[in-house]
Amino acid sequence: MKQIQMTKNLSFSLISTNKIIQMNNVWTSYDSKNFALEGINLSIDRGTNYAIVGQSGSGKSTLLKLMNGMMIPSKGTIKIDYVTPNMNNKKFKKMMHTIGYIPQSLGLVKNITVLENILLGALPRLNKIQSLFNKFPEHEIKEAIKIITQVGLTGKENRKAHMLSGGEKRRVAIARALMQKPTILLADEIVSELDHVTSREIMDLISEAQKRMNLTAIMVHHDIQLALEYANRVAVIKEGQKILEIGVEGDTIVDFQTGDMNTEEILEMYTDDSKK
Amino acid sequence: MTPKNNIIIGIIIALLVVASYNVDANPIEFVEGLPNLAIVVDEMIQVEPKYIPTALWAMFETIQMAFIGTIVGVAIALPLSMLAARNLNSKYVYAPIRALLAATRTFPSILWALLFVIMVGLGPFAGVLAIIMYTIGFIAKLQYEVIETIDSDPMDAISSIGVSKFQLIHYVAIPESASHLLSQMLYMFDYNVRQTSILGLVGAGGIGFYIINYIKFFEYGKAAIFMIVVLATVLIIDWVSVKIRDKYIIKSQHGMEVTTK
Ligand SMILES: Nc1ncnc2c1ncn2[C@@H]1O[C@H](COP(=O)(O)OP(=O)(O)O)[C@@H](O)[C@H]1O
Ligand SMILES: [Mg+2]
Repeated sequence: MKQIQMTKNLSFSLISTNKIIQMNNVWTSYDSKNFALEGINLSIDRGTNYAIVGQSGSGKSTLLKLMNGMMIPSKGTIKIDYVTPNMNNKKFKKMMHTIGYIPQSLGLVKNITVLENILLGALPRLNKIQSLFNKFPEHEIKEAIKIITQVGLTGKENRKAHMLSGGEKRRVAIARALMQKPTILLADEIVSELDHVTSREIMDLISEAQKRMNLTAIMVHHDIQLALEYANRVAVIKEGQKILEIGVEGDTIVDFQTGDMNTEEILEMYTDDSKK
Repeated sequence: MTPKNNIIIGIIIALLVVASYNVDANPIEFVEGLPNLAIVVDEMIQVEPKYIPTALWAMFETIQMAFIGTIVGVAIALPLSMLAARNLNSKYVYAPIRALLAATRTFPSILWALLFVIMVGLGPFAGVLAIIMYTIGFIAKLQYEVIETIDSDPMDAISSIGVSKFQLIHYVAIPESASHLLSQMLYMFDYNVRQTSILGLVGAGGIGFYIINYIKFFEYGKAAIFMIVVLATVLIIDWVSVKIRDKYIIKSQHGMEVTTK
């Protein structure tokens, strides 16, 4: 078993040119006293379906905000596709166009329609005249309609965003991100407030899009069961530190930090964590 | 009542007496003056109906002045409010704009009217300019306050796409604050009709010009017609704005859906 694991690790290092996200000893704080993240190391392969789990307040949302450049670390280095995230960096700003970010609150504009919300994902592709006159090119509208079909919102195009159900709102947020033609999709607890069935529908939708478009999806979850079910890898965060990074290999759970494969023990660790 | 409350009430009463003395406010004079009011009322009752068309026409002019003033004022106020909002700009942009807006608000519209009468001469145009200035100061303030309280979530979500500042304002800030804007415009128009009705006092056009002239020459009966027209108009506008508000604003805020049977 150990042998297999080692060759696996070796193969990972061979394709390390394909690391889309790299974090090296990253520290961040909102105030001068406390650190929200303490020495995070992360390395995510392109095309991975990655999950981050942890208790509330452990630093999951902060981690996502570092990945889209909304926050900058106080210490350590971050590379997103080998570029340091920073809103003032021209190269990264261009990259932001293709990083889909769905905050926990979804960030929909309430008083405009589903279609209009989704088209916002195409804003970076408009020129000045088009955005002044609110004139989206025909092919962008076609693209939006196609995505609306994919996410299952057909017939609701002209509904105002605040008149949708929780599940529908999430579909709009996903569609807006897909409209960005994303290479990375970041989603913060997108199913935490949903019932079991709707959660699965939304997760299936994202998983399907992730595979089809070969996206790197990084999703924050509350529920580790759900995370393990959908993700290739799951990082467990506790009090600002990454305490575990696990993945599913067939029927077993592998701890990528230590190389151990101990399903029972790992499952117990996280179950305790999320019950607290 | 605690002793502390008694002291506060005592101080307020003392201040009231001192202030009344200072402004020559004398209740006895008020009572003695009541018969004069009776004379005015008596003359007012003798209204002269043949002035009604003139009064209506003057009111129509007043409404048009208020309408132009409101629309142009709002059109100028909107971009200014975007620049004055703290969540969209740096201090170096919003601070001077806010100071400018505060300055326009310190003058009541009648003073603006006086200023513009000197600038462009007597007549409605001076009044329109005054209403524009006043509207800019007020709507811009109301609007930047709305923009500052809009939900930061969509703003953050859309700015994380890397859109331009202009796009962020156009596609997020304006739609998120639009329902308030309609309500403010109605309020401002309503208010501006009343304001415009008195700008005639300084010769800046509108129905107030007639009222002040008839009063000057003790023709209370004629003045009364014009005042009744103002009153009726204000009531009608009030009623119409309530209807519009109910139909478009209350509904959109509560997310009611129109059901068709
Ligand atoms: N805007 C903020 N200002 C100050 N502290 C914050 C802010 N946002 C988060 N924090 C703190 O940072 C820590 C991590 O928060 P967060 O990343 O939101 O956790 P999670 O998403 O895992 O619930 C918490 O201790 C939280 O109190
Ligand atoms: Mg969070």
